[in-house]
Amino acid sequence: MIDAGERPSHTDGAAAPKPSAPAAPAAPDQTPVRDQAAPATLSLPRLIGWSAAMLAAALAVGGACTLVGVISLSDLTRQMWESRALLMLTAGLVGASLAAGGLALQGLMRNPLAEPYILGISSGAGVGVMMGLAATAKLSLPAWASTPVLAFLGAMASCMAVYLVAQRRGRLDPYSLILSGVIVNIFNGAIMLAGNLYIDPNRIADMTYWATGQLSDATPRSLLGVCGACIVAGWAALLANSAAFNVLGLGDDVAGSSGVRVNRLRLVTFGAVGVMTAAAVALAGPIGFLGLIVPHICRMAFGPDHRLGLVVTPLAGAIFLMIAETLCRSLGPALRLGRVPVGILTALAGGPFFIFLLRTRFRGASA
Amino acid sequence: MNAQTDILQAADVTFAYRPGEPVLRGVSISAAAGRFTCLLGPNGSGKTTLLRCLMGQLAPSCGAIALGGRALRDYRPRELARVLAYVPQQPASSLAFSAGEIVLMGRYAHGGPLGLAGPGDLTVAREAMKMTDTLGFAARTLDELSGGEAQRVMIARALAQQPSVILLDEPTSHLDIRHQLNIYRMMRRLAHDWPMAVVCVSHDVNVAARLADELVLMRGGLVVASGTPDETIRQDLLSQTYDVQVDLIATPDGGVPMVRAK
Repeated sequence: MIDAGERPSHTDGAAAPKPSAPAAPAAPDQTPVRDQAAPATLSLPRLIGWSAAMLAAALAVGGACTLVGVISLSDLTRQMWESRALLMLTAGLVGASLAAGGLALQGLMRNPLAEPYILGISSGAGVGVMMGLAATAKLSLPAWASTPVLAFLGAMASCMAVYLVAQRRGRLDPYSLILSGVIVNIFNGAIMLAGNLYIDPNRIADMTYWATGQLSDATPRSLLGVCGACIVAGWAALLANSAAFNVLGLGDDVAGSSGVRVNRLRLVTFGAVGVMTAAAVALAGPIGFLGLIVPHICRMAFGPDHRLGLVVTPLAGAIFLMIAETLCRSLGPALRLGRVPVGILTALAGGPFFIFLLRTRFRGASA
Repeated sequence: MNAQTDILQAADVTFAYRPGEPVLRGVSISAAAGRFTCLLGPNGSGKTTLLRCLMGQLAPSCGAIALGGRALRDYRPRELARVLAYVPQQPASSLAFSAGEIVLMGRYAHGGPLGLAGPGDLTVAREAMKMTDTLGFAARTLDELSGGEAQRVMIARALAQQPSVILLDEPTSHLDIRHQLNIYRMMRRLAHDWPMAVVCVSHDVNVAARLADELVLMRGGLVVASGTPDETIRQDLLSQTYDVQVDLIATPDGGVPMVRAK
């Protein structure tokens, strides 16, 4: 009750006859006011503590997975250590990039189903990578230069296409968003198939394999360096806006009137996610659903705050993909399946998870 | 209501979403600290558009809006947020933040690079919640609150910006009469006690007439009349505004009469 309180209205002519309503019992769930209670919020020690813990966990998992990889092949040469460590570094970067991208897109679009793979950003980068490979072959350009740039252009084109198709007067309907992602994915898939046929019909099998998403332990260090730098830069750009993502959850008008530059935030996010997804796809092909699963698990564990989420979610994504890759490399041969691309594992896990979200949380949110 | 105390002044504001179809056709209004102003008018009269111009979300094609003696368009977003705050029609958060955290988001424009709340921010947020009587459910999410409670949280969030002007867009359109009255009383109290300029788009003539200091009647992008409820709650002005014949019915307390459409 607002007018039963400590500040009697002193001016009132119009409201002089106080109705008896305020004396009636208030909403049954109302608890007494605690004057000294401070709103609980994210504190610096908690932010630093969880960030450090997740970073330590990511490094430990990376080390452990490297060890498992080396031991399982019983090849203790220096080269093997290096190649396995690089593989885990690649997995970590790709996982971090996709998880951060998923979280940022979900925050920006206020939509729990947004994710680079579902929205067709990954397949857009895929088209770019394919063109990059063609350019590398035909024009003898260095792979580290052409592939990430073209992947980025493809990712951004898809970003913009999905956004423009789905938005209506700046508002994003969740179903239109998913649907336009599906359309852009099909479109990009067709371009990739057609392009590949045109370039070299014998490489269709290669392309299919690449499109499942897999990590290589022979990634050129130059490519890894460029892509790693892109991912770190994109992450930094998102982190710098982490408080703004929280406010944006209250709607564009409230965020704008709170001091958030909403349009600039959109541009920065699309740009950063485009760069990060492009780098991830250039390294590993399109790996699906990681950007959906990991942010959701992190939200359940750490709450909705992006200031913490944008630190722990990428690290959790790194851990997720390092473990998934290690599982694929160890289980595949053990089950006599040969090498299993890690993208298949994430898709097998992610598909049901997506349906679960669609049927439970999301339905409640849109009702 | 002299010009010196008017913190927000809009002069001759014109705005069109599509060329040739102006929604605002030369609107002048002002708001002063200590004054609770309600914008009244039928749907499509331009109330919300005017509010969006006043909060800097839309740029008028003609006319000038000044805030604290300075052109509104010269304010940077964070700077503006420290002077002017906004409360939406429907409280909503896509993320499961607690009421306390939502109120603290009002400190965004005051915050540092990390955006973490300092002791000063916590004090301001607590005061804002005390003033709106929302401290009791600081730990609950908006989904767990009733419509009236959630709207009070949104008002507390706006107050945490420590503004001189607060703009509200039909904040009670989904509330029952008791909560509606509570919110209007709170706005009146904020205007008088803080003191700040409160401008509220309203759909309920009677509640607005009873509690506002000033009413602005709008129709077709123009101001029909403005002034105190005594000056503006008149049969001819209301008929002209809403395009319907109205009766004025004396209230038992002898205050501003009730308005009823014929």
